[in-house]
Amino acid sequence: MINAVLVFNNAGQPRLTKFYTQLETSVQQRLISEIFTLVSNRPNSACNFLPLPPLLASSSKSSAPTTPHNDTPSLVTYRHYATLYFIIISTSTESPLALLDLIQVFVQALDGLFENVCELDLIFNFETLHATLGEMIVGGVVVETQLDKVVEGVKAQGRVAKRPVNEGKGGLSLGGFGRGDGVWAGR
Amino acid sequence: MFEKSLYDLIRGLRTHKGTEQEYIQSSLKECRQEIRSNDMDLKSTALMKLTYLEMFGHDMSWASFNVLEVMSSPKYRHKRTGYLAAVQSFRRDTEVLMLAENQLKKDICSPTPTVISLPLGAVPHVVNPGMANSILGDLIPRLTHSHPAIRKKTVVTLYRLALVYPETLRPAWPKIKDRLLDDNEDPSVTAAIVNVVCELGWRRPQDFLPLAPRLFDLLVEGKNNWMAIKLIKLFATLTPLEPRLIKKLLPPLTKLIRETTAMSLLYECINGIIEGGILEAVEGTTEGEEVARLCVGKLRGMMIIEGDANLKYVALLAFDKIVRSHPHLVSQQQDVILECIDDPDISIRTCALDLVVGMVNSENLIAIVGRLMRQLRNAPVASSADDPANDRGRNVGVVPYAESDDSDAEESLRPAEKRSNQPPPLPEDYRINVIRRILEMCSRDTYANITDFEWYIDVLAQLVRVSPSTKFATATDEGKDNHPDDVGYAIGCELQNVAVRVRSVRPEVVAAAQSLVLVDQRDKMFPASGNGGQGVLEYAGWLVGEYANFLAKPESIMTSLLHSTSLQLPPKTLAVFLQAIPKIFASMSGNEQISWTPERKTFMSLLMARIIHFLEPLSTHPSLEVQERAVEYLELMRLAAEAASGTATGAAYDEFTEPPLLLTQAIPALFSSAELNPVASSAQRKVPLPEDLDLDTPINLHLNALLAEAELSDFEMDDDDVYAAYTSPVTSYTSTETTSMSAAERLDAPHKEPTSYQNAVEEEYLDPDIIARRKAERRERYKDDPFYIDPEGQQGSGAVTPLGSIVRAGNEELDIDAIPIMQLELESKGSGSEEVARARSPRRVPRRVEIVGDETLGAPDTDSLREDIVPPRAAFSKGKKSLLEVDSSGLGNLSLSDEDMGGGNRRMSQLDIERREQEEAEMKKALVEVERLRLEMQRASERVEARRETVVKKKKKKVRKVEGAEEGAVKKKKKKRRQVVMDEGAPAEA
Repeated sequence: MINAVLVFNNAGQPRLTKFYTQLETSVQQRLISEIFTLVSNRPNSACNFLPLPPLLASSSKSSAPTTPHNDTPSLVTYRHYATLYFIIISTSTESPLALLDLIQVFVQALDGLFENVCELDLIFNFETLHATLGEMIVGGVVVETQLDKVVEGVKAQGRVAKRPVNEGKGGLSLGGFGRGDGVWAGR
Repeated sequence: MFEKSLYDLIRGLRTHKGTEQEYIQSSLKECRQEIRSNDMDLKSTALMKLTYLEMFGHDMSWASFNVLEVMSSPKYRHKRTGYLAAVQSFRRDTEVLMLAENQLKKDICSPTPTVISLPLGAVPHVVNPGMANSILGDLIPRLTHSHPAIRKKTVVTLYRLALVYPETLRPAWPKIKDRLLDDNEDPSVTAAIVNVVCELGWRRPQDFLPLAPRLFDLLVEGKNNWMAIKLIKLFATLTPLEPRLIKKLLPPLTKLIRETTAMSLLYECINGIIEGGILEAVEGTTEGEEVARLCVGKLRGMMIIEGDANLKYVALLAFDKIVRSHPHLVSQQQDVILECIDDPDISIRTCALDLVVGMVNSENLIAIVGRLMRQLRNAPVASSADDPANDRGRNVGVVPYAESDDSDAEESLRPAEKRSNQPPPLPEDYRINVIRRILEMCSRDTYANITDFEWYIDVLAQLVRVSPSTKFATATDEGKDNHPDDVGYAIGCELQNVAVRVRSVRPEVVAAAQSLVLVDQRDKMFPASGNGGQGVLEYAGWLVGEYANFLAKPESIMTSLLHSTSLQLPPKTLAVFLQAIPKIFASMSGNEQISWTPERKTFMSLLMARIIHFLEPLSTHPSLEVQERAVEYLELMRLAAEAASGTATGAAYDEFTEPPLLLTQAIPALFSSAELNPVASSAQRKVPLPEDLDLDTPINLHLNALLAEAELSDFEMDDDDVYAAYTSPVTSYTSTETTSMSAAERLDAPHKEPTSYQNAVEEEYLDPDIIARRKAERRERYKDDPFYIDPEGQQGSGAVTPLGSIVRAGNEELDIDAIPIMQLELESKGSGSEEVARARSPRRVPRRVEIVGDETLGAPDTDSLREDIVPPRAAFSKGKKSLLEVDSSGLGNLSLSDEDMGGGNRRMSQLDIERREQEEAEMKKALVEVERLRLEMQRASERVEARRETVVKKKKKKVRKVEGAEEGAVKKKKKKRRQVVMDEGAPAEA
């Protein structure tokens, strides 16, 4: 199952934190910053799977070299889009490549909701961000992977606000993500 | 009053550059005010802002009651805010959870689908067994809700309920199963159920076998890749239980592998074939070979694809699973796998490292170890900033910073641009891992893969130099047998093992140990910074002592052991050194052939005086082990010194004088009686019990009387010396200073860039001095070999041969006569004949080496054969849970099969039933109490409304007092609930 979903930007500022277990706020912050340190040191050509951060590695060290227990979070998958990192922490029962696609669906759903989504949209509408995630993952189990159903589910909860107009001074006309760039690798 | 929206808060944050902390604090203060307001809009906005700030680590647990208030608002917008806040801020110990139950039940039963979704999403985050029991009845009807979105979320929520309260599945599973078997069910719901079944599946696979036909249909028909992946994973857990499935699964799986466009599905098909044991099952048949070839071929393709590191990574993961059962299939792919060891990406490297250990053999060992050694030697040491353990978040929380408005936050989310491709520095735990893996590969099966032990010894010496520094080297206390944090101990252990097991290289090992122990060489032998590798000294110290007769220069080793820096070593190492000192002394003094001349006498006396001087302060060392050895050898040395000074020396040089017997006979006899041999750790258990062994008869019948007597006479002899020894302050071994290298000197160590990635040249991973020694040895060995070309010799291959000089002379005509005719002199092996052969490479003929195995009694146990070389990791206590782990072990005990489900209640023991009844009664009581408190709270809030003008500050102390006055009979749980209410109610009553 999925243990946590995190989004933070290039400076390590969290934009979304969702832990599917109850965790002390301070521990959450430590985990975020550990993962950020790991992820920000990686070259772009590197693969999208992180070694376990110390907080997670220390407690699972005993079982890791042999066969990781199916309940233990042992997979940290991330994707980097422009200014944001999307991270999923999961157990070994999830498929690593499929999780990458899941992140992709999440970002595409956001793009569909905000029309050409950028970090600012997510900062000012973090409720919608949570709602979108809630349509895809409930309690650490994936409930929906179809893009249109996710978007439909969020829209059913009410109007999705675009970012405040006066906030975007130029720089908005960037080509939409996922449109013709061939980013959707079709995995 | 000025009210800030969430938008204002974020804007404000972005404009208060540099003073974000103050701004946040003032905002939090405002929120505290606003959240107490009766205006629901204001309350909910404040809650929203708090939730936003919680993301940055600002505690909002104090607002949990307000969260409940907002949750119970009739407006959907408020409700949504409230539920989000609950999900983000409620923890296990949140006290208002009991109060939330009713609200959850109410919203689950709401007629509006969007409202139902809110508790469905929130329950998994906050659920506990009591709550699960209470809301279960309301959740189950939602499985047949008309809206598919509600149905799929309910399935998942029920699964999370089952994790904390396994009984959930008794009523819920038959209903979920009906949904799964329903062909007309919405595909999204089916997919969600498959996800849940997959999660349940690995816990109790046998319960899901009856579903296999339906799941198989879904796999064949399904167009949803995510679901297909989950199904394959589920089938991989089912195939071991039902071998007939394999035959059925193989065609659709191979079809998917050949046809699918989705790489993730392709990969999971291969993975499923591996994990489900299908490869083993069809092994030997033509079909099986074809499948194996298909899988391995596709995996190889994934490794080769240019520029997709992810595929490389997952392919390595898959290879790692095959290597245990089909090593030959993997070793065919050796070329691509070995490339990955040097991949710039640490994740891939680590993965490849694990894999390589499984596929090593005597042919590729040297090449693989060479690659790894080169990595260790050439990679920069990771700075502390790169260590995730040292990052800023540990000390200071993350502070949301102000970005200027034209920041790149407006960039739309496209995949990030390429950044630098520089390999990251090696983190320390990776270094340690590499070293351990090298040792593991080399020592496997009692060194079965090693053909050249001298090479291995040099590798070990080099490993000491590249070992990372450790944090706890000084904290190693006695009795702690495994040293997980210093690989130096592991390296030392290998040196010791080789010395004991391989007699033929014992001199070389001792030479290596000697160079490690020598004080004046330590700067060179150990890493320039930190205290890495120090653990090896413990074993090197033992080696120089035990095999002292191999020592080239025992005097200088003695000087090093007696050096003042030895006193700073960890007690365990110091104790080993103490043992080595008399051993070396014995080998130096034990020679009977040397005449006891005045020079000899002075030399020996001086030596003993130095030993005594060294041992004296240690006789009060805090470590008992050190103290005991020091005291024993101190006495022995004093005795020997006395004997030496008492023995008369021979006057004249020509006549032989007997040295004192104590030096030549007695002391050496202590250490040289029998040779140590490796003994299997299980041998002790097999020693037969002597028949006449009687442990019950007392050895001394008057023991009690003797003890009593001793007790009485104990205080009479209060010797001053003894008293002084225990009370005088210990100064001698704490005041000495370590000699350390200046920073500038450390910088001098040059880093050599790798010159070739094609083959591992040992120059790239061994330090110059080791190479120089190897070359010298090689020259020595081959000086009589006419085919050996000395790469550095004057007449070596690089030098000009007569024929070469003619060719190089270039443009001139080739004068045939100028080519000398060489005389083949078989007798003389002079330098002239070295010029003959140049084609032959200086290849070493592997020497036949005898490796001593473990000695044991009877048949050796296979299980504990090599415990001493690869120490098994001590298993951590099983109770320790990983940080984010959701424990699902409770599910393992609950059967889901049809027969069991029906009679589930009958099978419960009387005790269980009683306990449940009791729980239910308690629950009922608690619910009544909650209802009462709710009413009370409502009344209180009405009163607050009435006197809103006179808002009084919360008086916690007073509340506590009132609370304390409460009758102690009230249960603790209830007390807590009451306290919450009291906190809120206080202002009204004050």
